[in-house]
Amino acid sequence: MKADGRTTIVIGAGHNALVTAFYLAKAGRKPIVLERRHVAGGCATSEEFAPGYRATTLAHTLGPLRSSIVSDLQLERRGVKFVRPDPRLVSLSPDGRALVFSRDAARTAQAIQPFSTKDAARYPEFCATFARLGAFLSELLEMTPPSIDAPSAGELWELLKAGRKFRALGKRESFALLRWGPMAVADLVAEWFETDLLQAAVATRAIHGTAMGPWSAGTGAILLLGAAIDPLPGGSSVSAVGGPGAVTRAMAEAAREAGAEIRTGADVVRILVRDGVVTGVVLADGSEIAAGAVVSGADPRHTFLRLIDPVELEPEFRTRIRNYRTPGTVAKVNFALRALPAFKGLAGDAAASLQGRVLVAPGIDYLERAFDASKYGDTSPAPYLDVAFPSLLDPSMAPSGRQVMSVHMQYAPFALRNGSWQGREDTLAALVLRTLEAYAPGITSLVEHQQVITPLDLQQVYGLTGGHIHHGELALDQLFTMRPTLGWADYRTPVEGLYLCGSGTHPGNGLTGASGQNAAREILKGARRNQPAGHQ
Amino acid sequence: MSTSYDVIVIGGGHNGLVSAAYLARAGRKVLVLERRHVLGGAAVTEEIYPGFKYSVASYVVSLLRPEIIRELDLPRHGLEILPLDGTFTPMPNGDYLWRVNDHARTRREIARHSRVDAEAYEEYGKAMIEMGRFVKPILNMTPPDPTSLNPRGLMDLAFLGRRFQALSDQDKYNQVQLMTMSAVDFLDQWFETDVLKATMSASGIIGTFLGVRSPGTAYVLLHHYMGEIDGAFRSWGLSRGGTGAISNSIAGAAREAGVEIRTETPVSRILIKDGAAVGVVLESGDYYTANVVASSLDPRQTFSKLVGEDNLPPDFVADVKRYKYRGSSGKVNLALDGLPEFTALPGAGHHLRGAMSISPSVDYMERAYDEAKYGRYSREPYIDIVIPSLTDPSVAPPGKHVMSCFVQYAPYHLKEEGGWDAHRERFGDTVIDAIAKYAPNIRDIILHRQVLTPLDIERVFGLSEGNIFQGELTLEQLFFLRPAPGWAQYKTPVQGLYMCGSATHPGGGIMGAPGRNAAMRIIKETNRK
Repeated sequence: MKADGRTTIVIGAGHNALVTAFYLAKAGRKPIVLERRHVAGGCATSEEFAPGYRATTLAHTLGPLRSSIVSDLQLERRGVKFVRPDPRLVSLSPDGRALVFSRDAARTAQAIQPFSTKDAARYPEFCATFARLGAFLSELLEMTPPSIDAPSAGELWELLKAGRKFRALGKRESFALLRWGPMAVADLVAEWFETDLLQAAVATRAIHGTAMGPWSAGTGAILLLGAAIDPLPGGSSVSAVGGPGAVTRAMAEAAREAGAEIRTGADVVRILVRDGVVTGVVLADGSEIAAGAVVSGADPRHTFLRLIDPVELEPEFRTRIRNYRTPGTVAKVNFALRALPAFKGLAGDAAASLQGRVLVAPGIDYLERAFDASKYGDTSPAPYLDVAFPSLLDPSMAPSGRQVMSVHMQYAPFALRNGSWQGREDTLAALVLRTLEAYAPGITSLVEHQQVITPLDLQQVYGLTGGHIHHGELALDQLFTMRPTLGWADYRTPVEGLYLCGSGTHPGNGLTGASGQNAAREILKGARRNQPAGHQ
Repeated sequence: MSTSYDVIVIGGGHNGLVSAAYLARAGRKVLVLERRHVLGGAAVTEEIYPGFKYSVASYVVSLLRPEIIRELDLPRHGLEILPLDGTFTPMPNGDYLWRVNDHARTRREIARHSRVDAEAYEEYGKAMIEMGRFVKPILNMTPPDPTSLNPRGLMDLAFLGRRFQALSDQDKYNQVQLMTMSAVDFLDQWFETDVLKATMSASGIIGTFLGVRSPGTAYVLLHHYMGEIDGAFRSWGLSRGGTGAISNSIAGAAREAGVEIRTETPVSRILIKDGAAVGVVLESGDYYTANVVASSLDPRQTFSKLVGEDNLPPDFVADVKRYKYRGSSGKVNLALDGLPEFTALPGAGHHLRGAMSISPSVDYMERAYDEAKYGRYSREPYIDIVIPSLTDPSVAPPGKHVMSCFVQYAPYHLKEEGGWDAHRERFGDTVIDAIAKYAPNIRDIILHRQVLTPLDIERVFGLSEGNIFQGELTLEQLFFLRPAPGWAQYKTPVQGLYMCGSATHPGGGIMGAPGRNAAMRIIKETNRK
């Protein structure tokens, strides 16, 4: 395919970028996707990390994906087998018990019963409330955030519709929504439950990947945002056989089939701009590709501060992007295990219980203390862990009888007080194992290999500025019309013809493809109107 | 005995008195009932130690609404605000940061620490003043109900929307940030000097159970710029005669308008007949009847104690129980034989006449909060110190001084052995130790020390859990959510019962706005009848 001034270039081949590329190709655009790494998939790529062991190197569950994306890209026809594990989540207690969450609210309530009768009774109501609020909010996720300066008639109509649905929630629930959003998630869960283990398990979704603890105000909004994509408390742990990497592989195939070209090993180092209009990109090898439109799947800081010449942007805009916060807190460790570890508190068929996720988040104070350390630039001495065993869903990911254990460790602050992340890999893996030993004695002796991905690796290898897995903090001032910044939440940018489609745009939480789908809609709108794509 | 009134106001704090004064001026027959022997609630002056007058709880004025001063003619009733100029922060390295109202001087001082910050300080001040202009009218507004279709409420919402739209793009951006960000994150965008950020961010946490890095604390930074733009007085001031003199001046205005005020008259119950408040019963057993009862107490005192949960809808009871207090501050009042001598700036200089802030770094502030989260009082606390006797000699004998130390964090729910009664003096020692690090002579000049823990604040002033604002000033408890969703309009589910204290919009501090807003509401609604 030859590039010319009408070509659309997509920077990065993460899941959002692939979704955008697919929709653009389907509309006849023939986009060229340029991926720096040797493989497409961004944070969701399956790679061999030790002989015979494969893992999706970063993400281990899906958002889940927006259902229209699954059907439009015909992912299931392409061989993706989505798995909705049941039980879906196990939260480990230091007293040797475990709280097992099933998909069914009544069954989960039964599991809660030994911890608290009161909580067991409230659990189904909590599920129902969050399902209702989640359904309302999920419509906001599909919206392009309206312009605050001069909302168009269409935007006003959308807002009016949202307003009517808001009122339809009823007085009590609509007030609850307003009250819970700015709250600390610790307070929110305490309004419902008394069991620390249960409170913490629910709260983890509000702090995952953020530089906030359960006592940080505004984490209530992240819990609600989570409910909008997946209302089950603690998350439904949806994955796919082969892990999320299998999904991005199918996405790439869909995009190619629709007419997109995907080039790996193509590292974009510059976005070319002339007179405020995008004209192409420059690759690391010095070659230039001319383009009429460039869509960046990279995060806003990377896009504007590293790829674009400062003279092409208003200083005020650059300042805002510099102030866009990306404090990464997550490290990833993949372990090759000789056998499945034996977790205390899991009776019967342990393998069946471990198909979802396992949490080390034994209490609200535990999570908050883990966070405390990171505020001063230290790794949590007792970290919060989110664990999965992808080889249980797809035995081909490990040699026969062996297992892969994928661990998200938090908090590992990108900005360390002392020293750098280089050379700290083994200490980090040891910390994770030491933490797990309390719940699965002997686990350390099962380890054959390990792969440690520090926040620094997340930046250097995966291009996530600050190692932030969400492409920017999910804080109230960086959501919806403020993501990535006020006035530029509609996937357009001050550079005409340059768009954003990554997680640094609304709604941008988890592996859902929502940002990519919304962005494609706006990009195509700009083209259809046959007017400059630049905003205002 | 029974006497009938148009309105009975429960509590003679500054808000109760403001309400009473406005109601009487509108022709209502008003009675104010105060439990203690002294008026003013948390704004009182008391001679705890002979010859020394402590502003026992609240100690500075910043936000008293100028329209209240004007309308109630408070200066004629004895109100005199004296300027409290500057904030002095000693640093562990022997240096200090000393900001004063004189912009040129402050600029030079900040430039000593960072030239970039000195530039940014100007810009920051300008931006804050703009933001203050936006927020001010909201203080005098009755919060609309966003869930109702009432045309008035919709108009108010539209009014807010239009005001927001009228802001410049940059101001909108700032406003959104201020409403949601942490004080430190917000200040990080402007400044690089740690001690400057630490001291400025301190205003964001006063009276809250939040740290300087907690989202939602940036908003309070605005308060410092709202006083200034009125031009009436500087953002921080002292009242001659202590903060009690403010309350006394409001009481003077109220009495002149015909308000009857009784002290040492504790109310035990609000009389309710057919779902409507019809009067109050005193602890003595006497009762008074009235068409309207206005409570300036917090929701727990008002509803759980005086009304009784049986008289309220269950949803409302649940909301009242959920309302968060979590007192986090203590107070240490000192009678001094001389003046403290700061190692960083020796001598009895002008810096002692302003506020002195023990807030050497952002991490220091945040660590102080971390301890409180787990139920300990801060071993190295944040302290805001003033010596009012330097500005107002009437509060101490000649040559002697009164020193007021506001301390955070002191969590009401202390998880330490024996609770607050066992830790009161140790807490006091901790505060003195923290000051002595910077002014070592403090230990030798103390003649008397009064330590108030959050438990004492609850016991003495009737503020639940010792929260100085009658409930946390966090986003989910502000504006149309204060004190309960759907009940932010000074009304309650009990017909004829109103709220007029700091637990209503716009909240705490010696501001008087809740009292005034509530009075307006009562006047309007009782006119209709």
